[in-house]
Amino acid sequence: MDFLTTYIVLAEIYVLLGLSTNLLVGIVGIFSVSQAAVFGVGAYLTAFLLMHTALPFPVAVLLAAALCVGLNILVTLPSLRVSGDYFVVTSFGIQLLATAVFTNWTGGTGGANGLPGVPAPMILGHEFLEPTEFIALTTIGMGLGCLCFWLMMRAPFGALLRAIREDELAVAALGKSVLGAKVSAAALAGAFAGSAGGLYATFLSFVDPSSFDLDASIFLLTMVVVGGARTLAGSVLGPFVLLALPQILALIDIPTSIAAAARQLIYGLLLIVFMLFRPQGLLGEKL
Amino acid sequence: MLWLNLLLNGLVWGCALGMVAVSFSLIFATTRFFHVAHAAVYGLGGYVAWSALKHGLPEWAALLVGIVACGAVGALIQKLLYERLDRSGATHLVILIASLGLSAVIQNSLAAVYTSNVLQYGLPWGNRTTVIGGALLTNTQMLTVGFGILSYLGAMWFAHRTVLGKRMRAVASNPFLAEITRLQPRQVHIAVMAIGSALVCIPGVLVPLDLGLQPFGGVPILLTATIAVIAGGVGSISGAFVLALVIAVLQNLSLLVMPGEWSIGITFGIFVIFMLFRPRGLFTG
Amino acid sequence: MSAYLQVSGLNKRFGGLQALRDCSFTVGQGRITCLVGPNGAGKTTIFNAITGFLVPDTGHVEFQGRSLDGQSPQQIVRHGIARTFQNLRLFADLTARDNVLAGMQDHVGEGPLGAIFRPFHTARALAGKRDAAMAVLAHVGLEDRADALVRNLSYGEQKLLCIARILATGAELLLLDEPTSGLSGAALTEVMALLRRLQSEGKTLLVVEHNTRVVQQIADDVLFLHHGHLLAHGSPAEIIADPKLAEIYFGGTL
Repeated sequence: MDFLTTYIVLAEIYVLLGLSTNLLVGIVGIFSVSQAAVFGVGAYLTAFLLMHTALPFPVAVLLAAALCVGLNILVTLPSLRVSGDYFVVTSFGIQLLATAVFTNWTGGTGGANGLPGVPAPMILGHEFLEPTEFIALTTIGMGLGCLCFWLMMRAPFGALLRAIREDELAVAALGKSVLGAKVSAAALAGAFAGSAGGLYATFLSFVDPSSFDLDASIFLLTMVVVGGARTLAGSVLGPFVLLALPQILALIDIPTSIAAAARQLIYGLLLIVFMLFRPQGLLGEKL
Repeated sequence: MLWLNLLLNGLVWGCALGMVAVSFSLIFATTRFFHVAHAAVYGLGGYVAWSALKHGLPEWAALLVGIVACGAVGALIQKLLYERLDRSGATHLVILIASLGLSAVIQNSLAAVYTSNVLQYGLPWGNRTTVIGGALLTNTQMLTVGFGILSYLGAMWFAHRTVLGKRMRAVASNPFLAEITRLQPRQVHIAVMAIGSALVCIPGVLVPLDLGLQPFGGVPILLTATIAVIAGGVGSISGAFVLALVIAVLQNLSLLVMPGEWSIGITFGIFVIFMLFRPRGLFTG
Repeated sequence: MSAYLQVSGLNKRFGGLQALRDCSFTVGQGRITCLVGPNGAGKTTIFNAITGFLVPDTGHVEFQGRSLDGQSPQQIVRHGIARTFQNLRLFADLTARDNVLAGMQDHVGEGPLGAIFRPFHTARALAGKRDAAMAVLAHVGLEDRADALVRNLSYGEQKLLCIARILATGAELLLLDEPTSGLSGAALTEVMALLRRLQSEGKTLLVVEHNTRVVQQIADDVLFLHHGHLLAHGSPAEIIADPKLAEIYFGGTL
């Protein structure tokens, strides 16, 4: 029972990441391999605030999310102004740089050993320690995330993003700011990823840099590709399916030495296969 | 003199980086596609040569096997994946994701087959040093510089003197026109992918000769190389090579003031500066 | 008194091609001005220069006495100028109404914060916008096709939709790039009638046009462009009757 709960909690946290990645990659159409880096920033910052300040959990998460908003704006604004290929380089750069910081800044992030001892969330005096309690938190978090996403896509903002996907030039010719819309979407993606980081850090009570590397970013992309791009349903389905995958793989006898490589290989295969044969994923729209 | 040593090491490293940059430049300028999986082909080359070596082939033959294998893989990637996606009207984003997926498949296959541990070529002659003009250079380093300069000259000769090279530049400068004249851009794309992939095998072997083979080593190297290509000006082979040298030297000199793990910061910093002030790069194609 | 739209001394070079060569002309308010000339004369280039999609090498564009030099396309729309495209550039997978909505300048709900934190306000505003979009569609005669996807509209309907979309921006100077090309019969008449209707409502139209019959029927002024330079201007009758211009138009050289 505990195992199923853990799976659901993690899946719900990853739904927030799915929404984030879907916004950036699916809706705005930016090739991003740095979502895990932003996720990591959210996790480390929340952990730091909870361990070294007296800030309550919701405030810490909000601050972390706000910082991630700023980070995404800082990253997308200059590179989007130039060209799409620049963002590919920027994205890889951010991800590799973030991994370098996470694993080498022993003073701030604990380096390769990570940050242990992150306190459990405390809201209005109630401590969310057990997975069965935590699930309430993540379900609310996921619900809020989905609500924001849904509201956003229904609003003129969503329509504007869809139009930009079709023809940026025509949108500019109608007097709308294309760059502004893209950066706003990226900012929102940052908020989702940052909050996910806060929940992740407090759930595991330990922040480990290997959760936020390039492989993790590839996993996030795979989630969105398999679940389905640009839709709410795809953002929810993807994490649940992909997080069940390692359990299914455990049924096959793969030696532990290559288990990690095998997993990543499958993610890579999924990316290729879906792009070739089903770019809309299971429940999404064509990328 | 530490800084002189760092400078020389930087120039050597720059030649290796330059080969990666030139090979990527050839592909990127012609196909206009950011071939992310190039990092994986780089890795593959090193391991194929290693296996060939372990099977008893002499070093030069092992390298050749690697080069041919990479060239073939490059052509196959273009024909079976990129061209297929392009034909079905896939967006740039879709092909990028497929390329990333392929990169993960290749690199993780290498990790599964050869383990993630660092693998050595075990060629002692690589470390024998020679004194040249007051500096101490290993054989590997000299090979790297030699191959680097040869590759650069070769690429320049190819692009400007051969029929295929000229076709490649024509396709690069006007893909639309190339489509409707008889340039057959699809064939040119396959050829350029084959050549670029074959070329990247050389640094894929020379760099690990020193540092050892690693399945995922290609990613940071490719990142640095692409920054050199963009900062040098897309389409300019000279720009790519020169900027690779510059970045490599700066990276090495930065070791005077900061630890090596942060060298990616230097590279990235250079990129940010170019992006802000001179996005079109230094030279034009 | 400055002209409504004043273009002076525009020069633009693309590599080896001089697309605009010391191009100058004026457009009078409330008039339908047709921009004619052989292919490659620079007509679309002028549109791009006026609407900020292109920065000319030299020259100035002034609208109602205010300089438009160096402004972005977004800013130009805010001044009250909007343009259509020769190749339509409609949002194919959106409905006709959504295409018109995209042009509306009321920005409520167009940012993520407004959409998320003021959902009811946004929904109300959106409902209002949808009604307004419907009105615009009715104005061009497309109210029955409001919920049809653009890819399912006929070519004539799509051309009308292009105009509807820029009407939604509230622009008073409309730059129309070949609004009648590819149309004939009823569809052609419909567009011409729409253009005259728009003029009677106070809009000013600058129209790139290849169809001499259309030019004769709707134009108040004609600007003849050749090699990026204004060769002649006058009434439709004068321009069409000129044999030298006809020779240029149909393939001669000057």
